[in-house]
Amino acid sequence: MDLSCELMGIKLKNPLIISSGPLTRSGEMMIKALDAGASAVVTETILNEIRPNVRPRLTGHDGALQNIRLYSEYSLEEWKRQIGMVKEHGGVVIANILAHSPSEMAFLGRTVERYGADALELGISSPHGEGLSVLGCDPPNLYETVRKVVEAVNIPVMVKLSPNVNNLAALAKAAEDAGADGISAINTIRSILGVDINSMSPFLPTYGGYSGDPIRPIGLGAVATICQTVNLSVSGIGGISRFNHLLEYIMLGASTCQLQSALIFKGLGVIGEILEDLRGWMESKGYNSLDEVRGKALNRLKSFDEIILEPKVAMMAKNCPRPGCSLCETACIFGAVEKGRDGKVQVDTDKCTGCGLCLSVCPETCFTLEWKR
Amino acid sequence: MPNIREVARRAGVSVATVSRVLNHPERVSPKTKEHIDRIMKELDFSPNVFARSLNLKRSHTVGLVIPDIVNPQYMEIARGVEQVAHEKGYNLLLCNTEKSRSKEQDYIRMLIDKKIDGIILAFTLLQEEDFEEIRRKKIPLVLFGQNILNENINSVYSDFREGAYLAVSHLISLGFRRIAYIGGDGDHLENRDKTLGYTEALLSEGIAVSKELMVEGADDVDSGYLAALKLLKLSPLPDAVFAANDLMAMGAVDALKAEGLRIPHDISVIGYDNIRMASLLEPKLTTVSWPVYKMGLISARILIEEVESDEENPPAQNIYLRPRLKIRKSCGHETRVSEIFDQPT
Ligand SMILES: Cc1cc2nc3c(=O)[nH]c(=O)nc-3n(C[C@H](O)[C@H](O)[C@H](O)COP(=O)(O)O)c2cc1C
Ligand code: SF4
Ligand code: SF4
Repeated sequence: MDLSCELMGIKLKNPLIISSGPLTRSGEMMIKALDAGASAVVTETILNEIRPNVRPRLTGHDGALQNIRLYSEYSLEEWKRQIGMVKEHGGVVIANILAHSPSEMAFLGRTVERYGADALELGISSPHGEGLSVLGCDPPNLYETVRKVVEAVNIPVMVKLSPNVNNLAALAKAAEDAGADGISAINTIRSILGVDINSMSPFLPTYGGYSGDPIRPIGLGAVATICQTVNLSVSGIGGISRFNHLLEYIMLGASTCQLQSALIFKGLGVIGEILEDLRGWMESKGYNSLDEVRGKALNRLKSFDEIILEPKVAMMAKNCPRPGCSLCETACIFGAVEKGRDGKVQVDTDKCTGCGLCLSVCPETCFTLEWKR
Repeated sequence: MPNIREVARRAGVSVATVSRVLNHPERVSPKTKEHIDRIMKELDFSPNVFARSLNLKRSHTVGLVIPDIVNPQYMEIARGVEQVAHEKGYNLLLCNTEKSRSKEQDYIRMLIDKKIDGIILAFTLLQEEDFEEIRRKKIPLVLFGQNILNENINSVYSDFREGAYLAVSHLISLGFRRIAYIGGDGDHLENRDKTLGYTEALLSEGIAVSKELMVEGADDVDSGYLAALKLLKLSPLPDAVFAANDLMAMGAVDALKAEGLRIPHDISVIGYDNIRMASLLEPKLTTVSWPVYKMGLISARILIEEVESDEENPPAQNIYLRPRLKIRKSCGHETRVSEIFDQPT
């Protein structure tokens, strides 16, 4: 069984890449991540001008993070050494860069290419700083930027997109038309993680980027849209902490995946866990390569008018084994589920509208949806 | 003297409900009837007074006049109108004009004779002068499809010029330049509007309008088939076809396939209407949808509201509903996501 895959023509030993962020802020950090099993690393965003980082700049709980970190603290010159370290170590490095204009972006691209970067990721989509609002939401601007960079370098170019837009497909298309080799998504989502009601202050003093577990559904939706729009190598990002999350992205069409927050919360050991579980799953299912599952779920996505109305209702697949539970009864907004004193759960198929919620709330998979008899 | 509206307000129900208690008590729940009867007594309201203020000669029948009973689009209008009429306790008289102005005039006379409460005219061919009697008799009227007369008549309409413009612009954005047009029956204003949309979309992209690419059909499947055969004689062949309705588009697809062309590889096709069958065609037909069933519902609601209103000259309502591109396979677009969100990228 083989986990290897391809990212814009670059052969990778597995689909797990460390995304741009504090865990790739230096050569030393990147090497640690590679040693933990990652197949490639994306540097923290590299700029011409260093932006000082405020304190505090991170807040988080329950697998969710908000950050107001403004990119790398190393100078462009310093990145020569940092990237060089990783290259010497034999790792694959994707340099994430951000600039204000197409020509500045091309200049940065040429520079990090000389430093040895294997590919570029255009980090135009941070919800704070100048990323998203300048380049990341306007297709003509994006087209111009990507085209300039593609013309300037010989290494593959990937564009990192944000879900904070209402024209994601058009942006992906603009990147493709301009000659990009890949797209990665998503970047963090503009957010305010919370407000301290005693001091009446937001946890962090400005809008930040939301990442981690809760953003995965948004990442999955964005990646599906991108994969349905362009024919490029797509790298899925957002809320990956377990092997099945990675598979979900791949089944929606991604070639590779990136992660950051889970490693911040739980350490680099997560990389090995995901890869081991992924191997186990593939073996148990008899798959030899990720190509056998890639895009399979994407093909099942329909438009509303393609969904056939079936007269389905909930039925009990087996007897309820949990005396103390009543999740299904509470959740059914149509009052169709009743749990008797004897612990027997029954569905009134005349009241049931086939909404499907009981199937997902039952921890014992007691329900199925079947054609009404 | 208290009036029916006061009764309704006191009872916390609509005027229509009070009137139903008076005219058709069997259609009202016993509890409601009892409640309203009590309020009428309290107010010393006598139905005779009500009879003078409101036309009791109501027939509880509304008429729907459509051009062609075979066209599934028109049956969708009827479905919407019927549903509301039934819910409000009205019968529906369906009249099929077969696209003839004189037949439409006959029907109007017949409906007036039958003391019809109100009339919905779908895609009417009538002229200003034909409305004389309807106006004199103050029969509530809703024009469906196209706001052809003036803002003083109720209308529920869509913009067929805009819909055609969307379809043809979509074809142009996909790179097509030789775009043929199978037009509908030119007697109908909505078909002339579609032709306008077609030419405007071409001109706005600097593409010349060529007469040889424009063929007139008769709104049905067969005429679409024949029109496509005619287009196939052209050299060079058109690279896309926009048909003014789905039935003609289906006929055209059939003819093109019969002549060995692959859709959309060799030629793209877009229709208009988004009838159910359009999504069953192979390849699935890209088309322009307009919410015809919903427009039927709204027409009936406006009509019956006016029938039941005791206002002397209620202001006309003009309600516009937007056409939308429904992207499927036959246009030859590249991105699956366009089909899901109906957004060209
Ligand atoms: C603290 C932090 C800093 C980040 N910095 C960058 C950055 O400099 N450039 C960038 O493109 N993305 C940055 N990201 C976004 C991540 O690369 C990633 O797109 C996002 O966090 C979603 O993935 P996750 O849920 O696995 O964290 C940062 C994320 C975090 C949490
Ligand atoms: S499918 Fe929906 S309506 Fe039916 S029993 Fe389950 S929760 Fe209730
Ligand atoms: S949710 Fe499942 S386990 Fe819980 S009561 Fe219902 S059937 Fe039993």
